[in-house]
Amino acid sequence: MKSKINAGRASLSPELWDNFFKGSRLACACLITQVENYPALLPEIRDRLIPRLRGAVRIGITGPPGVGKSTVTALLARRAVKAGRKVGIIAVDPSSPFSGGAFLGDRVRMQGLIGDPNVFIRSQASRDGHGGLSPTTPAVADVFDAFGLDRILIETVGVGQAELDVMNSADLVVLVLQPGTGDVIQALKAGIIEVADLVLVNKADMPGVDGLLDALKFLFDMSAKPKAKPVPPVLSASALQDQGLDEVYAALERLIEGHARSGLLREKKRARIEDEIKTAIQRDLWDKFQTAAGTGADIASAAERLVDDGGSPYPYIRGLGARIHLEFQPEGSHGKYGR
Amino acid sequence: MANTDDKKIRDADFTSLSGRPLQPLYTAEDLAALDLDAVVGVPGEYPYTRGVHPSMYRGKLWTMRQFSGMGTPEQTNARYKFLLEKGQTGLSVAFDNPTLYGRDSDHPLSAGEVGKTGVAVDTMADMERLFHEIPLGCVSTSMTINAPAAWIFTMFLANAEKQGVAFADLRGTLQNDILKEYIAQKEWIFPPEPHLRLITDLMAFCADRVPQWNTISISGYHIREAGSTAAQELAFTLADGFEYVERAVAAGMDIDDFAPRLSFFFNAHMDFFEEIAKMRAARRIWARRMKDKYKARSPRSWLCRFHVQTAGCSLTAQQPELNVVRTALEALSGVLGGCQSLHTNSMDEALALPSEKAVEIALRTQQIIAFESGVPHVIDPLGGSYYVEKLTSELEEEAERYFRKIDELGGVVPAIEQGFFQREITRAAYEYQMALSKRRKTIVGVNEFKNAGETLEIPILEIDESVERDQIRGLLEVKARRDNGAVRARLEALTKAAATTENLMPHLLECARVYATLGEISDALTTVFGEYQEQPFY
Amino acid sequence: MASPKIKVIIAKPGLDGHDRGAKVVARALVEAGMEVVYLGLRQTPEAIVHAAVEEDADVIGLSILSGAHMTNFRKVKELMDAAGIGDRLLTGGGIIPTKDQAQLSGLGVGKLFGPGDDLQAIIAYIQDWHHSHSSA
Repeated sequence: MKSKINAGRASLSPELWDNFFKGSRLACACLITQVENYPALLPEIRDRLIPRLRGAVRIGITGPPGVGKSTVTALLARRAVKAGRKVGIIAVDPSSPFSGGAFLGDRVRMQGLIGDPNVFIRSQASRDGHGGLSPTTPAVADVFDAFGLDRILIETVGVGQAELDVMNSADLVVLVLQPGTGDVIQALKAGIIEVADLVLVNKADMPGVDGLLDALKFLFDMSAKPKAKPVPPVLSASALQDQGLDEVYAALERLIEGHARSGLLREKKRARIEDEIKTAIQRDLWDKFQTAAGTGADIASAAERLVDDGGSPYPYIRGLGARIHLEFQPEGSHGKYGR
Repeated sequence: MANTDDKKIRDADFTSLSGRPLQPLYTAEDLAALDLDAVVGVPGEYPYTRGVHPSMYRGKLWTMRQFSGMGTPEQTNARYKFLLEKGQTGLSVAFDNPTLYGRDSDHPLSAGEVGKTGVAVDTMADMERLFHEIPLGCVSTSMTINAPAAWIFTMFLANAEKQGVAFADLRGTLQNDILKEYIAQKEWIFPPEPHLRLITDLMAFCADRVPQWNTISISGYHIREAGSTAAQELAFTLADGFEYVERAVAAGMDIDDFAPRLSFFFNAHMDFFEEIAKMRAARRIWARRMKDKYKARSPRSWLCRFHVQTAGCSLTAQQPELNVVRTALEALSGVLGGCQSLHTNSMDEALALPSEKAVEIALRTQQIIAFESGVPHVIDPLGGSYYVEKLTSELEEEAERYFRKIDELGGVVPAIEQGFFQREITRAAYEYQMALSKRRKTIVGVNEFKNAGETLEIPILEIDESVERDQIRGLLEVKARRDNGAVRARLEALTKAAATTENLMPHLLECARVYATLGEISDALTTVFGEYQEQPFY
Repeated sequence: MASPKIKVIIAKPGLDGHDRGAKVVARALVEAGMEVVYLGLRQTPEAIVHAAVEEDADVIGLSILSGAHMTNFRKVKELMDAAGIGDRLLTGGGIIPTKDQAQLSGLGVGKLFGPGDDLQAIIAYIQDWHHSHSSA
């Protein structure tokens, strides 16, 4: 099989797809690399993957740095495997804004899963992503799904910012906190608490755990809004001692079942598709605009002028906009959206 | 600053190896704030800044103790006899990686590693071979072993017994410093608590039955080798020492029963004066804490006695003959720092275990310092130097700042679990490497003064693949010959006792006597204590 | 389009806990823009290659100071070939005598680095290798 090195060109060989659908781990890994490195290939890849998706549940594991996300992820994965599932883990770490490189140190904390044939771990750098994930994480999750993995754990960078990405790409979000570090305030500020489907207070052997649990309960009681979303369960555990994770896993599975029944999972999937369409159209429009108007350099020099003149950019923007004429061709005719 | 011509300053880095900014000149002004009598004092008297003994090297030179071990016990035994014949005055055992990790030579993970970085020891039979014709009652033996220290020690004891030497006559040291393993060297088996229990068990056992034995060599050497600064080496080592003291006291021992047998182990790196100051600061800090905080009554409990090894990480593979010079300077700093025991590295150690010729030169280096340089004639000759006393105080202050930080984190073990030490060390290591890359710091022959197209010209020691085969064969023979029923019974008794608070040393001694293997004992204890999983920190 | 990131696995096989070099190299590679999966200590050759497959790594870097380099490099290379990633770069460093380096080179192991080698040289080697092995 052509390795990714030899097939350095951005292309997908029939051999690769063949091996992928036959279950070759290397083919799966190579496909993920194509997804990561060649965004132009994404539509083609998605076209082939989507019919083969089996409805794997995507679970986001988020939270501030150092709370034990990797350890928790590994322990949940182990239980999922014991329950007969095949698990994919996407562990995202931040890319350096200066060098563009990344230190991917999550899988080293998952030593208990080494070599397990029912687990596939892939580390990702966040690259251009700003919300705790890489822009290609959702597509990687699809690769795992089509590969036959039915539980996909997505461990985020967890910088504590508004983690919209994980909300959009995961079916369920687990927020991991630890006592003693003021994380509740951070989480509040970030709005992540509203996004969480389950809150786990890890390192429950540390002082301050009861205080944190009380604070969380109070928070949820107060903010019980009339949304479709139920109040998330708040659990505690000591991942390093492997204590309490059975309950967490059970609660997760119950949530999955509940969300499936209530239609929430379907809604999430629908929202993801809608989001993908919008994002793709936006990108497409922008690309076409750039090509047609050759505006990249033009905009840059406009900004250059404006920074010295001190004027408003809106006359310029209106001027550009006045030159745009959008024609929407009838369905069926070869239009601007086909290939 | 009087009289320094500041018009022409070289474009160079005038910081210490650890990055400490240094003044061009130190004067009496720099010491004005210090009460020199109290702080510097007199050798052999509290706070021991100038030395632990009143007569220091006039009374007794430091022990010349070359860390040594390779291949089979027979090969190492030959090297020990060679070194003793060349004039070394103490033995120091280097074990191979499988032994350090408590594994037998035939364990799957031992493949390729048997005898490569030290001697392989699987059972008491190997101790018999290792010390064949070496009278253990007459020479002190240091053993660099940590995770399985307790049962390696009982194998050593069982062999001494066979030689007819009484435990009370045995002198030596066990490194047995598990805390620094979590911090730097990474040779652990179990999580911290069970290891600490084994250490306090050993301390209690020795206080009673092997009273001349140094039960721990609380080490900074490895922390330094991992890339720490001098201040970090000093602070983290002493912090570990305080932790052991607290543990032993919590286990019910009287501080004056065990503290006199705690010893230390420091690195002697290339920054000459920083190293000397570090060692003097160590003595002062330890004495103060033991007396004032831990209320030890016996002055022998206040002594920071230490072994020094010249810095392995300063050795170069390029122009290796230059390592003789480096080692000489480092050894000199160890002597001026007042060490009790010294190991000098051989010039080829960036490449391999030392050849006979290279280790002879290393030993002779110590002998030249001892007998030709005149340095040992006067105690603490640098005492009173403006620079050295100022540096000593600065290092002491930096250490105290680290102690406060460690306390804030909840103590040594919580700090380890939070990755505090590991992160400090990794950062220091990276900064130094970057300084080398940018040529702000120099290593002659490596980033400056290189010889183009250099080829290696010195012969180096090779460990033959047959060592592993021979060692495994010997191990299987021992297992076949011994009373396997007795071994099973002793291991069972050990396992049972491990789940209680009983002192495990007598059980370990029993196991050693019947030729239980290192791995069998490790496995038995692992069933009770579990295996440690590191949460790595960068 | 920016060239794809180089993905590197850094691991220490066998029983050697001296990870100062591995950590420093890992960090230097990250600062040179690479994506580094740090596997850490006490890795078996099987675990290393398993991870390399899942991560679709371009490079595997082993750090070995214990003298067990012949056994470990050989085994990892064998496993890489068997897993279909034999064309990736297997490199590393530590204490490896020149004679052994030559032998390993014959088995297809890349250049090996030792004490005193500059970080820039390691970075340049990997970048050059990657450049010449990805046909554009």
